[in-house]
Amino acid sequence: MSEDAVTSELEHDAAWRRLDMRMLLVHPVNEVVRFLPLLIGLFLFGASDHSDPWHYLGVALPIAIGLLRFASTSFRITGSQIELRRGIIGRSVLTAPLDRVRTVELTAKPIHRLLRLSRVEIGTGSAATSGEGRLVLDSLGAGEARRLREDLLHRAPLPSPGDPVAASGVPAPPESVILRLDPAWVRYAPLTTSGLVIALAALAGASQFLGNLVRAALDASSLDEDVRALPLAVSLPLGVVLFAIVISVLAICGYLLTNWGFMLSRDEAAQTFHVRRGLLTTRETSIDTGRLRGVEIHEPLGLRLAGGGRLTAIVTGFKRRGNDSKTPMVPAAPRAVVAAVGDAVLAENGPLHTALIQHGPIARRRRYVRAVIPTTLIPVLLAVLATTASWPWWLAGVGLLAPALGVLLARDRYARLGHALTTDYVVMRWGSLHGRRDALQRTGIIGWNIKQTFFQRRAGVVSLTATTAAGQQSYEMLDVPEGMAVAFAIEAVPGLVEQFATRLSNAPQSADPALKCT
Amino acid sequence: MLAAAGIVATLVASGFSIPLWLWLAYAVVAIAYSVAMPVYRYRVHRWESTDTAVYTQRGWLTRERRIAPMSRVQTVDLDQNLLDRMFTLANVTVTTASAAGPVRIDGLDRAVAERLVEELTRRTEEEPGDAT
Repeated sequence: MSEDAVTSELEHDAAWRRLDMRMLLVHPVNEVVRFLPLLIGLFLFGASDHSDPWHYLGVALPIAIGLLRFASTSFRITGSQIELRRGIIGRSVLTAPLDRVRTVELTAKPIHRLLRLSRVEIGTGSAATSGEGRLVLDSLGAGEARRLREDLLHRAPLPSPGDPVAASGVPAPPESVILRLDPAWVRYAPLTTSGLVIALAALAGASQFLGNLVRAALDASSLDEDVRALPLAVSLPLGVVLFAIVISVLAICGYLLTNWGFMLSRDEAAQTFHVRRGLLTTRETSIDTGRLRGVEIHEPLGLRLAGGGRLTAIVTGFKRRGNDSKTPMVPAAPRAVVAAVGDAVLAENGPLHTALIQHGPIARRRRYVRAVIPTTLIPVLLAVLATTASWPWWLAGVGLLAPALGVLLARDRYARLGHALTTDYVVMRWGSLHGRRDALQRTGIIGWNIKQTFFQRRAGVVSLTATTAAGQQSYEMLDVPEGMAVAFAIEAVPGLVEQFATRLSNAPQSADPALKCT
Repeated sequence: MLAAAGIVATLVASGFSIPLWLWLAYAVVAIAYSVAMPVYRYRVHRWESTDTAVYTQRGWLTRERRIAPMSRVQTVDLDQNLLDRMFTLANVTVTTASAAGPVRIDGLDRAVAERLVEELTRRTEEEPGDAT
């Protein structure tokens, strides 16, 4: 960049902008909620003498924190960067170049929505995954937040510094809707792992809270005796069915809470995908098409057997921990819907439909060995216990189910294991219980790792991993025959692996006495 | 080597409570490990840097080969701990934008490492784009 360009951009300096005034109402409420136990304690136990002014500190402090946060946070967009200034005692200025902005997420909790506010989070692909390093504006007016998003993703300089905060009447850019949630899809909710986790967590949380209540209710009625009077053969299945129903209802509630009004659309002008969802807390994620590196289809066993799947995007600049790290494109939905959206997102029909190359007999043998040997130990152990510790023999008989299931698992795992190469994508499919099919852009691959454990080395297979700056950061192909792996890596990213091809095929043999012996 | 010495040291420290034969067996294994493992590692470990990529081969039981294209390199680090400095050795770490693991070359001669870092830095600077 020349000297002139720098000065002109400095002159373009926009005025520092503040958060929306209405956030003053959000933060105190949030702070009060956070201080709630303390407040209750204060007013309950300090109720005897009302004259004590300390009680009011508990209310005043959160409000003061909110005020200070409002007063100390400001941001501006200059010609080429966004700057965020914050902090009361330790001041910090966060700066990010605009062309590094990959994703923008608007989140609105119920209280935000009531006040027509939005929390803006800007993803720049920096290593900071949490806390102070993230660019978060909490919160702006809904209209201003949208405008900011447009500015960031269009990468056009702001027209006027300090434009008025009022009016949300910016005409929405033309968008083509790719997907809208069909409420019938809630039937898949109990089959997703995340749905189950949410349901179990809710149940665990509720059980502590409701436990006493239920016990009190049971004491008052004769239900307890009625239940005890039932034979085990009736009460056990009844309990299981009841549990399944409760879990399903909770999972469906969770699905609706997060995915209500789910809409995936493509904004042609801004070259972005928008994902909107949420019943109480709404979340709008915008993904720059240029940062999209592919998609993952998640097919956990239950969902797969019911003919469903989920679709998430592989995006750079979206590296957050836990469940949040996934960028959903389709919630649990029928397979046909998932594939159709996947095709639309990838703009190529191949990756999600093409036939895959299987990994061969060694990969199959390894699947069986790994699934069957550990599961065989269960009936063996039970049989040993039956002879030595006089455990019932039928238990060992039931234990025989484990290796049988192991065989089924191994067969499924091998049947699903495969890879393919299309015009623009590398496709890998693997896993049974947590089945996935990943389509990763070939230009998004920024390196290869070829890993061999001791046993893989003896078997002559490798785990080939494509590394990338997006999504899960690495995408692995399990137990590929060595030659096939090298050939695949050469073909997928031309001009990279060729130069080491002789080393990749010769080095291990010459340097590996163990392999020579066998 | 250090790990083996550590194992032996902890064994000596706690050696009073375990039978002598076990102590001896463990010592034999530890010494064999401290002799054989570095030799084996030395035979396995390889690295190469070309105009367009860096290549390494590491590990002994589990072996990993990594290739990173020069155009995707983000940082090049050189580090030495006290022991490295005693033997004038240095380690070079090359990272890309992926969190899937850096390319690491251990135990280079200090001069070779410095030349490598300089070369890598120069080549990476020549490449346009933000390396993602």
